Amino acid sequence: MTAARTRRWRGFVAAVALLALANVGHAAPAGDVKPFDASSLAAIKTVYANRPFVLAFWSIHCAPCLEDMADWRAFRQRYPGVPILLVNTDTSDDGKRVAAALARHRPGNVDKWAFADEFTERVRYSIDRSWRGELPRTYFYDSQHHVDVVSGRLDRTWTDAWFSRVR
Amino acid sequence: MNRVATIALLALGACGPLFAHDDGGHHGAGAMARPRGPILGATAAFDANGVLWAVHFDGPHLVVSRSNDLGRHWAAPTRVLAQPEPMDGGGDAKPNIAIGPAGEIFVTFTKPLSKPYTGEIRFARSTDGGHTFSPPRRVHADRQEITHRFDAMTVTRDGRLLVAWIDKRDLPAGGKAADYAGAAVYYAVSDDRGATFRGDYKVADHSCECCRIALLPREDGSVLGFWRHVFTPNVRDHALATIGTDGQTTGFRRATFDDWRVDVCPHHGPSIAADSRGTLHAAWFSGAPGKTGVYYGRLEPGRVAGQRRIGGETAEHADLAIIGDRIAIVWKEFDGKRSTLRALRSDDRGATFVESELAVTDAASDQPRVLTRDGRFYVFWNTRSQPLRVMAVQ
Repeated sequence: MTAARTRRWRGFVAAVALLALANVGHAAPAGDVKPFDASSLAAIKTVYANRPFVLAFWSIHCAPCLEDMADWRAFRQRYPGVPILLVNTDTSDDGKRVAAALARHRPGNVDKWAFADEFTERVRYSIDRSWRGELPRTYFYDSQHHVDVVSGRLDRTWTDAWFSRVR
Repeated sequence: MNRVATIALLALGACGPLFAHDDGGHHGAGAMARPRGPILGATAAFDANGVLWAVHFDGPHLVVSRSNDLGRHWAAPTRVLAQPEPMDGGGDAKPNIAIGPAGEIFVTFTKPLSKPYTGEIRFARSTDGGHTFSPPRRVHADRQEITHRFDAMTVTRDGRLLVAWIDKRDLPAGGKAADYAGAAVYYAVSDDRGATFRGDYKVADHSCECCRIALLPREDGSVLGFWRHVFTPNVRDHALATIGTDGQTTGFRRATFDDWRVDVCPHHGPSIAADSRGTLHAAWFSGAPGKTGVYYGRLEPGRVAGQRRIGGETAEHADLAIIGDRIAIVWKEFDGKRSTLRALRSDDRGATFVESELAVTDAASDQPRVLTRDGRFYVFWNTRSQPLRVMAVQ
């Protein structure tokens, strides 16, 4: 691919991603969920170039994930400048149970996404080839997009220190 | 719906539930584009005559299909339920099938209830060679709207039916999840080939909440249970116990020792089988830092012998079977574009293995399962590109 074509392609990806992320930072309608596939992370990184963000994967079948929701709400309030993207991974469920879980556990004004590709290996590989699907799985990207990966429930102390450092 | 129409709907981002959940209701603001097509979760079992029976989804319906020629042709499927019910069907939460002593076909599945991660274990059977199924019934006596999920089923050597599941009834009422680590494993037994069940019997407190349970029938009529446990304080390694059809569980012990300390849902349950000398062989996943991977090993008291990594960095969902001294392990790996089904074979009770590639798909796929018939190994693998696929493992 030539440099010119690469630039055009990147511009296209960024434009698409900006459209997809138009609601970031605003009060999105409750339950508004965006489709996440194998191209999404690259687009999100483009939109958040030189900015930190958190990408947190969860399932309605994962009790620790739901227990983390209140913590996401609290971190979102305390560090409003750091985007938090919650991505649901339940491709074999309809959106209703996902929406019900979000309404019940209230993660707050975070950006809500859901897997839109049933070939989940492909989506996971686009994020981290060593991720075997365990949940919760959270990726903390600093402003240079160096990433800290956490499997399992949030460690509030560690997470608060991370937000405090990158905000 | 033809393929072109399906693709067009996907391209338009058509909203809608998977067929199995389609109750005709309206979708809230949270509804969004989801892949359309039957849920891929499927399992299969051979009967005494070598006929292969598969339980799988056909549109919204849970169905059973039969093949007389090792999966080359499948007869028209029979619906298990007259009316579709909501049901889990993906990952470790698949419907299960087993064959009874008189050729009965037993099916279990988990019906989700309205609250998150609650469910009910349901059972249906056919006593007329798969032509019709009984109305589905709840396996457990407990009627609370709590977790009863991840059903596992086996037929004992003395012809009883044993169904085990993950159960959260022992969480303190009104208490926080932190007050009780994980969930429990419970089971029920049928002495009359699925007409009635008795239980609910507890296997153990503090199992992990979201992994399939492996069951292995023993010559004495008992069943070995092998599941991901939560050892103090939060070690998600595996436990083993002998489950009696009399309701008594004995010999509980820790069986794997990777020391994975985490509060997580691995969605990645184990597999177990015994060789001609009674040695237990297992395959499992651990995410322990620095040694994440899928593993094979022989479960000895207090230790694992011959533990070795299965496959590469993306290996997932290994399943294992044994015929005499011969072992077959299958799993899948993803290379960025395609999923590959791979196998390890040993003819010397696990001392040495030979690895091979069995199949490839560029579409979504279910977890593979190893089956045995007439001294040979077969793999059952349901993929979007080739449904209900059956392959011999040489």
